[in-house]
Amino acid sequence: MKKVKIEISGMHCASCSNNIERSLKKTPGVKDASVSLLLKKGTAECEDFVSDEEIKKAVKRAGYEVKNISQE
Amino acid sequence: MNHKIQEKENKTMNHKMHDMKKMKIDIEEKNKLHKHENHEQINHDEHHHDTPVEDSEIREWRKRLIWSWILTIPIAIIMILERFFEIFIFPSMEISTIALLIISFPVIFIFGWTTIRGGIRGLFTFYFNMDSLIALGTIIAYLTGILTFFIDVLDYSGVAAMIMAFFTTGKYVESLARGRASREIMKLLELGAKKARVLRGKNEIEIDISGIKIGDVMIVKPGEKIPTDGIVVKGESSVDESMVTGESMPVDKIKGNNVIGATINQDGILYVKAIKIGKDTFLAHIIKLIEEAQSEKVPIQRLADKITSIFVPSVLILAVLTFLGWFYFTGYDLSRSVGIAVAVLVIACPCALGLATPTALMVGSGMGAKRGILIRKGEAIQTMKEIKFIVFDKTGTITKGKPEVTDVYAKVKGKEKYLLEISASLEKLSEHPIARAIVEKASLRRYREVKNFKILRGRGIEGKIGAKEIIIGNRTLMSEKKINLKDFEKTINKFESEGKTTMVIVENKKVLGVIGVADAVKEDSVSAVKELNRQGYKTIMITGDNERTAKAIAEEVGIKEIIANVLPEDKAKKVEELQKHGFVAFVGDGINDAPAMKQSNVGIAMGTGTDIAIEAGDIVLAKGSLIGVVQAINLSKATFSKIKQNLFWAFGYNTIAIPVAVAGLLHPIIAEIAMALSSITVVSNANLLRRKKI
Repeated sequence: MKKVKIEISGMHCASCSNNIERSLKKTPGVKDASVSLLLKKGTAECEDFVSDEEIKKAVKRAGYEVKNISQE
Repeated sequence: MNHKIQEKENKTMNHKMHDMKKMKIDIEEKNKLHKHENHEQINHDEHHHDTPVEDSEIREWRKRLIWSWILTIPIAIIMILERFFEIFIFPSMEISTIALLIISFPVIFIFGWTTIRGGIRGLFTFYFNMDSLIALGTIIAYLTGILTFFIDVLDYSGVAAMIMAFFTTGKYVESLARGRASREIMKLLELGAKKARVLRGKNEIEIDISGIKIGDVMIVKPGEKIPTDGIVVKGESSVDESMVTGESMPVDKIKGNNVIGATINQDGILYVKAIKIGKDTFLAHIIKLIEEAQSEKVPIQRLADKITSIFVPSVLILAVLTFLGWFYFTGYDLSRSVGIAVAVLVIACPCALGLATPTALMVGSGMGAKRGILIRKGEAIQTMKEIKFIVFDKTGTITKGKPEVTDVYAKVKGKEKYLLEISASLEKLSEHPIARAIVEKASLRRYREVKNFKILRGRGIEGKIGAKEIIIGNRTLMSEKKINLKDFEKTINKFESEGKTTMVIVENKKVLGVIGVADAVKEDSVSAVKELNRQGYKTIMITGDNERTAKAIAEEVGIKEIIANVLPEDKAKKVEELQKHGFVAFVGDGINDAPAMKQSNVGIAMGTGTDIAIEAGDIVLAKGSLIGVVQAINLSKATFSKIKQNLFWAFGYNTIAIPVAVAGLLHPIIAEIAMALSSITVVSNANLLRRKKI
């Protein structure tokens, strides 16, 4: 298990953060995700095999951009 | 803004440097200049408090807002003149429609492009957001303008532009308010120093904060930030720690004292050896904790989240039904039915619902952070209002946590020194605070060799010095080991009645003497407990001490109930028992009482200056003062009632506004204004939390 920190741009309403959470949680290997609209940041708890690219894809699928991604 | 200016200045500095190189100014002078410039840089960094991310968003909305209105105001004038005063600027209705279509186009499709694109994309990918509603509303309205050339329908293209303009205005105001809501937190996130002056060899060099290594000696001049956590190796000064601990008085620092990174050196030059860097620093811990808390969910929010997730599709369906209903089942024409459907689309506001909790939580945790109160679990602020019992751990929470030896009583007069010597030799091997006090008191140069050393948790220690069996411990241990305390009963009783912890020293089953250790009550414990009692909480003190010691302390601070003689591992059990009668908040240091804190409904962990037990508490107090408990409780309650107010408003708004729009009682523009106002109200209301005194 690992924790990934994501900086996201393009969010501006509460359904935005909900959508990203939903999209992240749908990604195989992601156990939990939470996104803060106000900090423009999110965290995803996921299995080690989940790549940064997949996280980025999930955010993009919901319609937003990943600005930075880092592991804790 | 500052960011840019600074960037520019840096650039000019670089230019200067280049010029100087060209001019071949002699090296010494160049070095001087170089240093001078770097000092300036440090000062810049210290005043660099604004938030670039938030700013760029606000700037972006402002730009769109201005352009939207430049175009929308003429549209409004044309529409008002035509529809209310029947004054026609254009020679024919067709030309007027074409003009409106042309002027509206950029408002919707250029300045509103991100909204349109995001919204449409959301519709196709089933990740609906509130843009979907606005996008659909404005596009439908705009299309009516084109339709006028083919069928008999009212032109809503001007209305579309006005909806977008009001939407943009709302977003701009909202982004301002959101920026205000996150002000304190953002400040904290950017608190860290950017540069450090370190000693490398004999040279003082200026490096980036990331270049500091553990063991580096940093030189901190008055007015500068201490770059990272460290220990003072030379110099003395006072340091303003308010930004991280909430302690308003500057703290004196001399050689050997710990200092926290990002705090500001006041008057003297300090030489500080770096002991923690990067993500291990105190500030990094606090930041991590606050960031995590922001993405935490307050339970009450879950319902709102559920609603927002089905909100947009529901409104889309509702808008279609509204249109069909009006168009087919009443005598309304196409134009009116479209107008009503558009109003339904734009009035529904998932935003207010979604912003209600996070903005209030953001303002609340910002207020807390300023006072050294760190809300780690959003859930805690909801649970706080149910709390009935507040259980305090004694040591380190109510008291200073640093016991001192107050009495040494030996059975044989003159043997006190020996008593201390063997005690200290054994206690040296224990980490217990009482052990440390005894070791400190004895301050031996050499300790005796101890064999078979054993810690008897919560009771004492035992070991062998030479052939002598030594036991040091409390009453419980003595009765366990069947030691006769008869001759010492009076002394022990006296110590205990004074609230002193009494350690009995036994050599080969015979009592040598007793040592009294006391832990003074913190200055503000009394007033904090008084306030909590006044607010109607049942205050309870839990301790491993015996009943009498406990009672003495409890009486001193005003706590009515005590649970004494509790082993550390049983504290959680005691909390569980109390929970049968009501919710329990546990206040402790979070280190040896972590299980009890976990068991409790709200765990409040007290920091001790440079260390905080982050993992244990739901709320963490950076400053080890009990007043923080009172503040944390008040803040939690105020924040939660703000969240409730916000949610009530947001639910209320939608449950009233949507039916009114469905009923056809609202013009789309009025609907949009109402929608924009609803989210602004929620965020502004969250900001009002700051007025609350805690």
